[in-house]
Amino acid sequence: MKLLILSMLLLSPFASAVECKTDNQYVQANYKVSEQTSHKLSAKEQLFTLWRTPRQVAQQSEQLVELWQQLRNQQIRPIRYFTQAKRGIEYHPSEVKGQLDFSSKYQLISDQLLAKMQLQSEQGDGCDTKQYYRLKKADTVIEVVWLSNQQLVESMQIQKANYSRKISLQSVSFNKQKVLEQFARWDKYQTTDYADIGDNESDPFLAKMINLGFVEHGATGFYDTNGKTLKSNHHHH
Amino acid sequence: MAANMKKLNLLSLAVVVALTGCSDDDKDYKSLIVNNTLPVGSEQCVNGGTEKLEGEDTNRNGELDADEVLTTTVTCNDPASSLTPQQLVNLSTNQWFKDAKVKMATSQDNIEKIVKESGKAKNIILFVGDGMGVSTVTAARILAGQLEGKMGEEHLLSFDTMPFSGFSKTYNVDAQTPDSAGTMTAMASGVKTDVGVIGVDEDIERGDCSTVAGNELVTATELAEINGLATGIVSTARITHATPAATYAKSADRNWEDVSDMPEDAVTGGCEDIASQLVNFEANLEARFAGVDVDGLEVVMGGGRRHFLPKDAAFNSSDAMSAVEGDRTDERDLTAEWQAKYPEGQYVMDQAGFNNLDTESVSQVFGLFNESHMQYEADRANDIAGEPSLSEMTSKAIDVLDNNDKGFFLTVESGRIDHAHHAGNAYNALNDTIELSKAVQVAMDKTSIEDTLIIVTADHSHVFTIAGYPKRGNPILGKVVAVGKTEPSMAADGMPYTTVGYTNGLGYRDLGDETNADASYLEGPAVGRFDLTSVDTMSPGFHQEATVPLGSETHAGEDVGVYAIGPGAHLVTGTNEQSFLFHVMDYAGDLVKNADAKLAK
Repeated sequence: MKLLILSMLLLSPFASAVECKTDNQYVQANYKVSEQTSHKLSAKEQLFTLWRTPRQVAQQSEQLVELWQQLRNQQIRPIRYFTQAKRGIEYHPSEVKGQLDFSSKYQLISDQLLAKMQLQSEQGDGCDTKQYYRLKKADTVIEVVWLSNQQLVESMQIQKANYSRKISLQSVSFNKQKVLEQFARWDKYQTTDYADIGDNESDPFLAKMINLGFVEHGATGFYDTNGKTLKSNHHHH
Repeated sequence: MAANMKKLNLLSLAVVVALTGCSDDDKDYKSLIVNNTLPVGSEQCVNGGTEKLEGEDTNRNGELDADEVLTTTVTCNDPASSLTPQQLVNLSTNQWFKDAKVKMATSQDNIEKIVKESGKAKNIILFVGDGMGVSTVTAARILAGQLEGKMGEEHLLSFDTMPFSGFSKTYNVDAQTPDSAGTMTAMASGVKTDVGVIGVDEDIERGDCSTVAGNELVTATELAEINGLATGIVSTARITHATPAATYAKSADRNWEDVSDMPEDAVTGGCEDIASQLVNFEANLEARFAGVDVDGLEVVMGGGRRHFLPKDAAFNSSDAMSAVEGDRTDERDLTAEWQAKYPEGQYVMDQAGFNNLDTESVSQVFGLFNESHMQYEADRANDIAGEPSLSEMTSKAIDVLDNNDKGFFLTVESGRIDHAHHAGNAYNALNDTIELSKAVQVAMDKTSIEDTLIIVTADHSHVFTIAGYPKRGNPILGKVVAVGKTEPSMAADGMPYTTVGYTNGLGYRDLGDETNADASYLEGPAVGRFDLTSVDTMSPGFHQEATVPLGSETHAGEDVGVYAIGPGAHLVTGTNEQSFLFHVMDYAGDLVKNADAKLAK
């Protein structure tokens, strides 16, 4: 299905004829997240970096790295790295359908959402091809500038009546060696299996996990410097 | 007056109505006397008796109505010195009474059959349900019964049928609420120790390699090995995890599962990681006891492949989840080292390899079925290369071990009951407990009460509760529905609540048909009350509510049950320190005595 959607995008009337030769499988993309609510005068800004190789993707904020690995059986395994402690927690791959869409991590917007949006226009050629998408649902408007040949979001704005958030690409590099080195650095962190947390209350790092709980899993994957999601719309009731 | 009328109606089976003619000229109604027999156990007379009602038939209907009674005289029988035949008939037709009488007879018979002399257990099997507290056993029993179409409460798990049971006090030397490392060390070695350490006594300092030397304990598995018995370790957790590790390893920290988990000073200080100790079990035992010649563990089955393989994708197995499956940073491939030591043995890593084992001819089996812990029983179908169940592993382990005519010593751990509880997911905890019950049944079927001691217990409990007042047969994973009701009871907050729940932990999740309990960790704690009205609390992915928010539900400190059958099982009674269980096994198999004799040669 994913392939089909991508194929349809490539065959769209706006498809570019110029080829993009950049290897977009190894990416370091720096993003800025700006958030504004109507009752606050100043906007809140955060930075994060998107790292990716063909089978794994990471979102790195100041102290927390969330990494997702796509396994051979297409399950997705999340790992959280805490850079200050140089420790990681490995989670079990999820089998819950729709809970973890790899494309939503890999390119910050899922193929599914992109397919639902309306393509407004297209500009540029080759690697610089930009597609402008828009979706309006109830009081929410989402606008995306999609670098289709790089599989990268240039910008994504979510606009509601009293709230807006914009994710914008600041810089990008396709240095394979640098990307692989970064993933290797994280891989050297001491990791603990998700299931073993409860048996390790004497480990100060894990005790903190047990007593304070884990940072929430945000729908956008963006966190502040304390590891908290920038905005959680999570309601259980 | 209404109450009196009700009482009269209830006693309407009675009895003698005597009319006393009244010819009082001033009234045209009669005085009546009614004698009722009060049954044994009645409110007025516990031993039965009579009740005499006297009054006047003022409404002239020929009966003494409640509002016509003027005097009531109750005469109670003397306390019975023996049951009357009639009373006995009532009791003997009562199914509870009859069942208990049958149980009495079979219990006496079973107790008599137990061999009580020492050294009579040719085989010993220790089953450990990790985190399987008493409430877990009860709830699993009910669920197992309900899955068979029964009401549930009357059902028996396999080990419920064992003739002897008692309690273990689980605390560690330094901890009120224990962990698996300290508790399993107590059971395996007969010595209580600190939390977090493996196979060493309390003089150890956790994490300090230099304190290991001189504090190593001897385990029942090692004694059995010295005695020439076949030995085996089976677990659904990583085979290097605390509970299985306590049978073969000595470590200052339970987390030193491979060399990459150890601090540099521990490695340079000469401490050996747990996985390496497993593969070197034979050599280490021979080095420790001069003159001893043993043949190593015959059966090792579990998870934890990552601790045995180098951190190099070239060593990935076909079952690998990670890009690089192995964790070892010393470039050692312990599976290859094991194969080199036991060229006749078979290393297997998936269901197909397991199925192809020829238990009659294979000398040694090394099965590592998962990169980390094996799957929850309910989640097993999702494994990449397939893996056996606990009961399948138990069956095959016994088939291999019983090739040794001298007997065998086998430890079987259901390791993931604990993990499901930590995740706050009763569904998986109970289903893994049911699978443990099946494994125990397999062992009971394949061995004889005359020469095999089987002990089933837990290392510790969890803060898992069975609460509220649900009616009999109410689904154990469901919402509380009170006696006589069909709709869920409401709490003071106006919302329904589940029978089983947790005191602490991550709390509520509704993950639908998710069979992996650990998916819950992807969200932060969500404790307190949630409206469960439209939630299917019996689904695999439902996680029960919790009160205290913690990133992981915790162990509990109360005693755990111990169940036993076979030679020496009669010693499993009363409340004992957990370390006592080693001594029961030692008594049953003369483990120390025989090893002493071997070493003396």
